[in-house]
Amino acid sequence: MPSDIATKLTRFFEARGCAMPEIAILQPADPFLETAGEDLRRRVFITENEFGASLCLRPEFTIPACLHHLASPVKLPRRYGYCGTVFRQHRKGSGEFLQAGIEDFGRSDAVEADIDCLADAHGALAACGVTKTTTILGDQAIFEAVVAALGLPQGWQTRLVRAFGNDDLLANYLQRLTSKKSVGSGTETTITPGLAGSISAGDVAAVEKEVAQAMEKARLPQTGGRTAVEIARRTIVKARLSSTRLDDAQAAALATFLAIDASAEDAGDALAQFERDHALDLGLAKSALLQRLDLLSERGLPLSTFRYKASFGRRLDYYTGLLFEIYGAGQDKPLAGGGRYDRLMTLLGSTSPIPAVGFSIWPERLAQGGRPK
Amino acid sequence: MTLIIGIPSKGRLKEKTLEVFDRAGLAITLSDDPRNYRGQVEALADVEIALLSASEIARELSLGHIHLGVTGEDLVRENIPDWQEKASLVAALGFGHADVVVGVPEAWIDVDTMADLDDVAAEFRLRHGRRLRIATKYWRLTQGFFAGHGIAVYRIVESLGATEGAPAAGQADVIVDITSTGSTLKANQLKIVQDGVILRSEARLVASKVASWDENTTKLRNQVISAIQSA
Repeated sequence: MPSDIATKLTRFFEARGCAMPEIAILQPADPFLETAGEDLRRRVFITENEFGASLCLRPEFTIPACLHHLASPVKLPRRYGYCGTVFRQHRKGSGEFLQAGIEDFGRSDAVEADIDCLADAHGALAACGVTKTTTILGDQAIFEAVVAALGLPQGWQTRLVRAFGNDDLLANYLQRLTSKKSVGSGTETTITPGLAGSISAGDVAAVEKEVAQAMEKARLPQTGGRTAVEIARRTIVKARLSSTRLDDAQAAALATFLAIDASAEDAGDALAQFERDHALDLGLAKSALLQRLDLLSERGLPLSTFRYKASFGRRLDYYTGLLFEIYGAGQDKPLAGGGRYDRLMTLLGSTSPIPAVGFSIWPERLAQGGRPK
Repeated sequence: MTLIIGIPSKGRLKEKTLEVFDRAGLAITLSDDPRNYRGQVEALADVEIALLSASEIARELSLGHIHLGVTGEDLVRENIPDWQEKASLVAALGFGHADVVVGVPEAWIDVDTMADLDDVAAEFRLRHGRRLRIATKYWRLTQGFFAGHGIAVYRIVESLGATEGAPAAGQADVIVDITSTGSTLKANQLKIVQDGVILRSEARLVASKVASWDENTTKLRNQVISAIQSA
């Protein structure tokens, strides 16, 4: 890294009240694979110690920062800053990159914490001389509110929310929800008439008994994995879900919502228009977003450089709310990105939930930042 | 330069390969000494046969150490990173049929499709304090296929043999494995997810893209390929 950028960022983070913990380069691989999934395996450098434990070169700082906090908890709220090399496999070019950022743990004032995070990301870029940027905002909470307002069964709501941020998967689900033919009628699974009767009657105990027999026949372990009652319950829920269809008005509402892409100044109007057109109430989720936008302008961040994109999300189950990416003029890769991940600490073993929000910057991209290509 | 062709060194794959070359008018002569892993093609003076294991053939093709080879499509796709850059699948040979499939316990009567498996995977951590585990030796195929179905949260447990026993042994919840008739899966009370066929594999003649191709080896390659294709 141009070392002056590191100095500037470190100075900025400290001025913003961050502790700067030492984060080891060699990390246990499991927490990364458990949270981000096996897909990450191809992108990290994994090694083993002589006892067979999987280790990796840190591919990012958020999870190490969480682990650092969990290993040596201090009074919350607490902000951690970092600035250093991360390691990721790429088909071409170097596997070493710089990353810098702030993780903010344990604040109960979520809206203000989100805005501090956004403002600090912009402040850090400005400290490095990058001021001409555009920011894309997304908000999973609003999508959740739309799906809830449509009155779909809970199972479908969870599926759709899970697909948020993956346009192909979402399109696939929407297609299944609108298609008239039923999907997933098993040919491999033999369901006796008696069992089919128990399923449609919603008789959990009867279905559970059959499943338990099948599990016993296959000598599946009785503990540690899926249980007979869990399978029975899902079988019954699924039978109901597969007959659920979105009517045309609901499908149109979802499609219109996902297409919303408005400047932050117009986001409130666009959402209000959406609510009126489809007779839906987005309630607190909408007002929380509008409150954030108000706070942004109070902080002197020009709203004209922010866009709200309704379909912008990350398909990782620990992201929960606001998401953002900051772009330099004419650049197609973000200079910085961040968001709220209230579920990550629990995934990593925290016994009580710890709200968290953070951002990271790619310093090597700053060299061209703010200047057209 | 001599053209080197890798063929399987033992078993049915070897016999079938010799048959195909025979039918193509490229009869292979092997040494009487079973420890000699070399052979010749009578009809083509400048061709050398190397007897290798099927997975070695995939690797040697990707390294350009051999020009052509007979191996399973699954091994090419699984064992060679960015395989399209390294090799091309030339001719399907009509033997060594096997499917790489996603298998789940028959007792999972609620799981018929990959979408069902997505639901199960998504809730697994919350219910059982760990991610869904998949036993397989096909890391790359599994990752690509699951990503294509939007499934990100699961763990792969490396399995080097008897993968179909992993669910009963409590090592994994589901498996990704190769099957030709499905009978091993059935014997273990496992079923194939309906849209869970990752690859329908068979033995292929494969050409290396990174071996050194001069005028002579290129000419020989074309001769061998067209003879095999019309065999």
